[in-house]
Amino acid sequence: MNNLLWLQGASCGGDTISFLNSEQPSALTAFKLLNLNILWHPFLSTVQGDDVLSIFQDILDDKVKLDLLVVEGAVPNGPNNTGRFFMFHDRPFRDWLTLLCNKAEIVMGVGTCAAFGGIVGSSKNINEVSGLQFQNDIKGGLLGEKFLAKGGLPVINVPGCPSHPDWIIETITALLKGWLTNDDLDELHRPSVFFSKLAHHGCPKNEYYEFKASAHRYSQQGCLFEFLGCKGTLCESDCNERLWLGRTGSCTRGGFPCIACTSPKFPDGQLPYFSTRKVGDVPVTLPRDVPKAWYVGIAGVSKLACPNRLKNNAVSFKLVKDK
Amino acid sequence: MTNIITIDPFNRLEGDLKVEIEVQDNIITEARSSGILFRGFERMMAGRDPMDAIVFTPRICGICSASHGVAAAKTLTSALTVETPDNAFFMRNLILGAEVAMSHLSHFYMLFAPDLTNQFFKKFSFFNDVVERFTPISGKSVERAIKARHCFLEIMGLVAGKWPNTLAIHPSGTTSTLNLSSLTRALGILCELDNFLTRQFLGCTIDEWLDIDKYDKLEEWLKNTDHKSCDLGVFINAAVEAGFDRLGRGPDKYLSYGAYDLPGGGTWMPSGYYDERLHPFDQELIREHIANSYFRDAVESRHPSNGVTVPYADKHGAYSWAKAPRYNDNSVEVGPLARMIISRDPLITNLVDKIGSNVLTRMLARLQEMIKLSRQMTLWIEGIDPNQPFYGKPSSIYKSEGIGLTEAARGCLGHWMTTSANQIENYQIITPSAWNMSPKDADGRPGPVEESLLGTEISDKENPVEVNIIIRSFDPCMSCTVH
Repeated sequence: MNNLLWLQGASCGGDTISFLNSEQPSALTAFKLLNLNILWHPFLSTVQGDDVLSIFQDILDDKVKLDLLVVEGAVPNGPNNTGRFFMFHDRPFRDWLTLLCNKAEIVMGVGTCAAFGGIVGSSKNINEVSGLQFQNDIKGGLLGEKFLAKGGLPVINVPGCPSHPDWIIETITALLKGWLTNDDLDELHRPSVFFSKLAHHGCPKNEYYEFKASAHRYSQQGCLFEFLGCKGTLCESDCNERLWLGRTGSCTRGGFPCIACTSPKFPDGQLPYFSTRKVGDVPVTLPRDVPKAWYVGIAGVSKLACPNRLKNNAVSFKLVKDK
Repeated sequence: MTNIITIDPFNRLEGDLKVEIEVQDNIITEARSSGILFRGFERMMAGRDPMDAIVFTPRICGICSASHGVAAAKTLTSALTVETPDNAFFMRNLILGAEVAMSHLSHFYMLFAPDLTNQFFKKFSFFNDVVERFTPISGKSVERAIKARHCFLEIMGLVAGKWPNTLAIHPSGTTSTLNLSSLTRALGILCELDNFLTRQFLGCTIDEWLDIDKYDKLEEWLKNTDHKSCDLGVFINAAVEAGFDRLGRGPDKYLSYGAYDLPGGGTWMPSGYYDERLHPFDQELIREHIANSYFRDAVESRHPSNGVTVPYADKHGAYSWAKAPRYNDNSVEVGPLARMIISRDPLITNLVDKIGSNVLTRMLARLQEMIKLSRQMTLWIEGIDPNQPFYGKPSSIYKSEGIGLTEAARGCLGHWMTTSANQIENYQIITPSAWNMSPKDADGRPGPVEESLLGTEISDKENPVEVNIIIRSFDPCMSCTVH
C-alpha cells in the first residue's frame, strides 16, 4: 500500500475537481492501479475533525509512513507573515505543511498555486502567499531552495490552472514506480514530459497560424495569436495534443486564448489576456526560440501566400465554402 | 451541563470549514460556522482591466468556476453597450446547466450519501444496502455515478473547451461555437446521461418521475420494486427511516436571483423572495454585515455596490472570514430548495407544505433540479442555430457600474463592479455559501445553517452525525464563501 495524504492550502479545490475528471485511467481506477491508501483527502474522506489531527500526529511520530504528499493551493503567509489567513486546528496551516513535507517520501505541488504561488499570489502578492519551493520562478518558497523530500527529490511541480488530470496521475505513477528521476525534471521541477511541448502544438488553428490568417473577433475560426492575445506559443504544456474533458476540448478549441496558466509568472506575467501586445509588428508572444527578424520576413511572405480558403474562414465563425 | 463540540476540519465539502456547537442536555443551543481561510480575491481586482474579471473570478472556486464566469460576463455586459446573439444565451445556459447538474450529482454521490455509511446508522434496515452503494471510492453506485459524471464533462468540453476555468463566456457572446457535428455529439452524450438517470438513479423514465407532483404520489411511487431498488428510492426510504424529514429546518425564508437568461428576456429559473408568499426580488435590499467577521470598516453593513474588504485577523469576537449577507435584514436560505419553491415546482412545493423545510426536502429539491436540468439541456441544444452567430460586436467603453446576478449550484451568486477610466475601481462578490454559511450579523441573527442546527437533538456527542447531515444538506462551498 502507498499512503497518500492530500492537502489544500489557499486553494479553490480546482485541482481536486480536475483530478476527478480523469479518464484512462479514471481516478478510481488509479487508486486501485497504484495501490493507493488515502490517509486523508479533504473532499473525499469520511474522516474529519480531531481524527484528521490524529492522522497528522501519527505521521509526525513516524507511526505511519507518508509515501506521497500532494498539496494544492498556495502557501498562506499573511497577514504580516503570521500565517493567520489560514488557521488549521488553531495553528497556521503553513506550519502543518512544513512539518508534513519533512516526513514525506515524495512531495507534489499540484496546480500553479502550490507550485509557484499562482493567482492567489497575483497583484504584487498583496495577500502574501508562496509556492511550496518557488515564489514565481525564483527558488525558495515555503521549504527553501535546498529542500529534498525523504525520497531524495525536490518538490515535484505539476502546474496548470487547473492541472490536467493526466499530468497528476501520470506523475504519481512515475514517482511511485521510480520512473521519474532528477534528469526528468526541468529547472522549475516540472516533469519535462508534459511541459516541454507548447500548447500551440496540435492546435487546430495551426494552419491559420502558418499563413497568419488571424481572427479579428472571438468565435471566428482564424488564429488568436496575432490580435486576440493567445499565449499558446509560449505556454509550456501539451494541452492541444492531450486534450481535456474526455478528449473533447481545449482552450483554443473552445475559441478562447491560451493564457499560459502553467507558467510560474501566471497570472500577471500574461497580461493582457484578450489582446496581443506587440513591439513594432512583432507580438511579444512570439515563441522564445524563433528569431524575430526571421519571423517578420516569414510572416510577411506567408501572408502573401495565404490561400483564400484560409483568409475567408479566418474571419468567419462557420465554414465558408470555396467559391 | 454544556458541552462544546468542535469539528475542525469539517470535510467532504469544497474548501475549509470549522464548526463549533454548544450542547445542553443533548440539544444544540449555540452554533458557529467559521470560514477559516482568507484569499483576498476582491483586493486583487482593483486597477485591472474589467475583462480580467473573467479570468480571475472563476478561480475563486474549483467546483463552480463557470457560474462565476457567467456572473462576471453579466457584470461586464451590464456596464457595456453590447448585443448578445441568441445562440450565446443557449451556450451560456448549457455551460451553467452542466456545471450545476454535475455539482448536484457529485454532491449526492460523493459528499452527502457517504454520511449514511456512518456506523451510527448500523441499527437501521438500510445500512448494508447503502454501504454497498455509497461507500466513498469503492461503492458500486459511486463508481457508476462517476462514469455518468463524465457525460457532463464531455458536454462541457464541447461547449466550453475546458473546465474548470473556461474563458468561453464573454460579455457579447461565447467564443465557442457548435456545428452540426458537435450538436449531434452533444445530444448523444445527453442520451447516455438519460440512461444512467433512468436505470441507476430513478428506476423509471424522467417523464414518469416528473409526473409526480404530490407527496401522496411520491409515496405511491416508492411502493414499486424498481423504484425502491434504485439509488433515489433507496435514499428516500433511508432518509425517512432515519428521520431526515424532521432534521435541519432552515429559516423558511428563501431567495433566488433567477438564472438561465433566455433570448428576448426572461429567465428559465425565476427570481424572487419567499416567506410564506412570493415577493419580487430587489437587489437594493441586500446588505453585507461584518460584526462577527475578520474585517474592518467604519460601518457594520453595506450594500455590495460600495462594499469594502479590509482583513483584520486580530478582531475581537470575530469567528469567520465570511461576511454575513442579509436580505431586507433577514437571514435567508439560498440554493436548490429556494429555487424549487420560488419556481413553484409542484412536487417540492407540496413537500414543503406537508413536511416543511428539512434535510430530506433540501436534498430532494437538489436532485429534482438535476433531473430537470438534464432534460432542459437537450432543449437548449436544440435551440441553437449553427448558421447564426455566437458572438456580437465587442466594446471596451465601460459605464461606472456593473451588476451580474445569477444562480450557481448552491444558490445566489452576485458580482458588483465600479469602474473609473475603464479600469476596475471596486469589485465585490457575494457567493451562495456566504448566504447559507454566514456568521451572525450585527443584530445577532445567526446564519441559515447556524439557525438550522439550533434546537437539534444530538444522540451521540462523540459522533454528532446529525450535525454532519444538516450541514451537508446545504452543500456548503467554503472556497467561494471565503474568497
